[in-house]
Amino acid sequence: MGAAFPLAVLALWELLSRGGVLAEDGFSRPSRFFVAGAKALADGTLLAQTAQTFGAAAQALVIATVAGVTVGAILGLFRPLERAAQLTIDALRPIPSVALIPLSLLIFGFSREMSAAVAAFACFWPILIVTTAAVRGVDPRLIEVGRLLAFPLPKIVLKLALPAALPGILVGIRVAAGIAIVVTVTTEIVTNPRGLGYAMTMAAESLQPDLVWATLLWVGVVGWAANWALEKLPIRR
Amino acid sequence: MTRRLATLIAPVVFLLALLYAWTLAADAKLVNPLWFPGPERSFAKLGEWIATGALWSPLASTVWRMLAGWLAACAVGIALGAAIASSPLARRLLQPSAEFLRPLPASALLPPAILVLGFSNAMIVSVVAFGCVWPVLLAAIHGFGALDARLVEVARLLNFTPWQRAWKFQLPSALPHIFAGMRVSIAIALIVTVASEMLSSQPGIGYLMLVAARAFRSTDIFAGIIVLGALGFLINYGTQRLEGRLLRWR
Amino acid sequence: MLEARGLSVSFGAQPVLRDIDLTVAEHEFVCVVGPSGCGKTTLLRALAGLTPISSGSALFKGRPVIAPQTELAVVFQDYARALLPWRTVAGNVALALEARNIPASDHAARIAPLLAKLGLSGDGDKFPSQLSGGMQQRLQIARCLAQEPEVLLMDEPFGSLDAITRQQLQDEVARLAKEEKRTVLFITHDLEEAIYLGDRVIALARVKGNLAGRIAEIVDIALPRPRQQLATREDPRFLQYRHRLFRHLE
Repeated sequence: MGAAFPLAVLALWELLSRGGVLAEDGFSRPSRFFVAGAKALADGTLLAQTAQTFGAAAQALVIATVAGVTVGAILGLFRPLERAAQLTIDALRPIPSVALIPLSLLIFGFSREMSAAVAAFACFWPILIVTTAAVRGVDPRLIEVGRLLAFPLPKIVLKLALPAALPGILVGIRVAAGIAIVVTVTTEIVTNPRGLGYAMTMAAESLQPDLVWATLLWVGVVGWAANWALEKLPIRR
Repeated sequence: MTRRLATLIAPVVFLLALLYAWTLAADAKLVNPLWFPGPERSFAKLGEWIATGALWSPLASTVWRMLAGWLAACAVGIALGAAIASSPLARRLLQPSAEFLRPLPASALLPPAILVLGFSNAMIVSVVAFGCVWPVLLAAIHGFGALDARLVEVARLLNFTPWQRAWKFQLPSALPHIFAGMRVSIAIALIVTVASEMLSSQPGIGYLMLVAARAFRSTDIFAGIIVLGALGFLINYGTQRLEGRLLRWR
Repeated sequence: MLEARGLSVSFGAQPVLRDIDLTVAEHEFVCVVGPSGCGKTTLLRALAGLTPISSGSALFKGRPVIAPQTELAVVFQDYARALLPWRTVAGNVALALEARNIPASDHAARIAPLLAKLGLSGDGDKFPSQLSGGMQQRLQIARCLAQEPEVLLMDEPFGSLDAITRQQLQDEVARLAKEEKRTVLFITHDLEEAIYLGDRVIALARVKGNLAGRIAEIVDIALPRPRQQLATREDPRFLQYRHRLFRHLE
């Protein structure tokens, strides 16, 4: 039932294209871009580009998780510090991630790190906020137990606070994973000559509309599959 | 009294300390000064933009594109969401497609949009609108469908027409959901607008910054980041205030 | 005024009410009492036109009730769900005026006396969430009166209120019904409440084996009005009615 609508759109698209209503140099047509997509899949270029994109997104997620969980745990444990840092967080968080593309380009040049740095900035905030809240929500008794056992602070954090806060933190990381992919693709489209985003920009510049639409469709499928897999992860709040 | 004063001052001190650390790091040339000017030079650049008026035209372009795309997406999303929610058939037919398109990066639409519409304002606004429509649409479908069964009966008992029911019952009950979607959307709008400007070389803050990067003018980049951060902050603050006023009953 | 003739309701294969015959005369206050699950609420909903009837008929002024109509107002037990949370107290009352297409310029003049009658003067600008449970139920009653219905159908309206609030509202509803000359059908599972309020009490019971509700007994209550919480409940006749009807609730 849900497939009927997209199939109808594709059929109409094909018809309008063959009828000359949709310009072929812009809209291509489904029969062409499915062939182009199959070819790109078969010769491995599409898969290589997918690996590049996902590699950068994964790197971003790792950086953001380490930074976000560390800072979040500190802020969650020390309420006065959290209150003091709030203004700074409110000032930095609204910076749109793409605003950092030029800076990242300047620092890292064309590289995986360039995309990863921008995406890590975007992923940092949800992880930070969720971790702060989750650590703050840990039963104070648990921390007291650590104090009574004379654990040093790092041990309290690693052995007691973080495991107790883990379910909440995982929810934040899952949200961040989706953001990582979106931002990585954006950086690739805008400047970075790597991955799926660049594949589309390149195809558009070399006037290969069939390849543009095929890659877009592939990005949709891959993004949807990643999203689906993330939602299926056994993570509960 | 001193405690209240401390809670007021501490956040400012924290922010200033961070700015000072930035200054020290820049002065000590811990990071290549080519990439990393101190805050005073960045803010001086911003002041220069304001003084010469160089800021206003690109800022106006960026804000205009962002708002136009966002508002169009909100109108379409709410209307379409209401229609889809009111028909179980439309819901079964269209909701899976909407769910499929939601995680698609909006910027991925840029290359095909450029092919079809060329490098133009209309292209950017279309892509922004496309990127913004999903959160609003899905929130509206959910919101319009989520009217309490008891209120559906109240509407029946008072013999309201379907239009009155939509206007007096479903829309207000869906509004909190729709607002949440609209707030997600406007953040997307700013990101997509800036990304589009960078890619398509249309005058705006994004383009300004990318040109600066190509010329290794890092103060311009930082001034641009400050402008976009302030814009993001204002959007957040504005939508929060608006939501607080319109959803006073919550 | 309101009538059920051989009225039966089934949900699928499950009979809920069987062969109900009852008549509520104009300006009469009739209470329906019965154990939970005997179909009291279904009877009220069928008479209001909210639940479809399987056989027999519900009649209002001799005409069959097929769909809800504004002459029949329903006061629900779950007042919190039956109010529009996004409208103020005055706005919730205005809803009924809008249903009757009364021009907005007349609303204020009509709402003020209603709010005064139900002890809500001064709360007109509050939202339902700012009111106590008892006040919210008063508001729902005010909205139903604004409908200017001929019949008030009340479905365990005081079931979720504390004892003191319940007694206050019992006396107010009894007074309003007589002052405003409304016909009332009042559903409750509280036998004493039924005897205290009603001109007549209809006891509903479940048919053994079949599980459908039917009328077990109808008793005219010859207690003088206005009734008083202490004196009336200590009246020997009150206790006799209680004894007589009690067995149907087991």
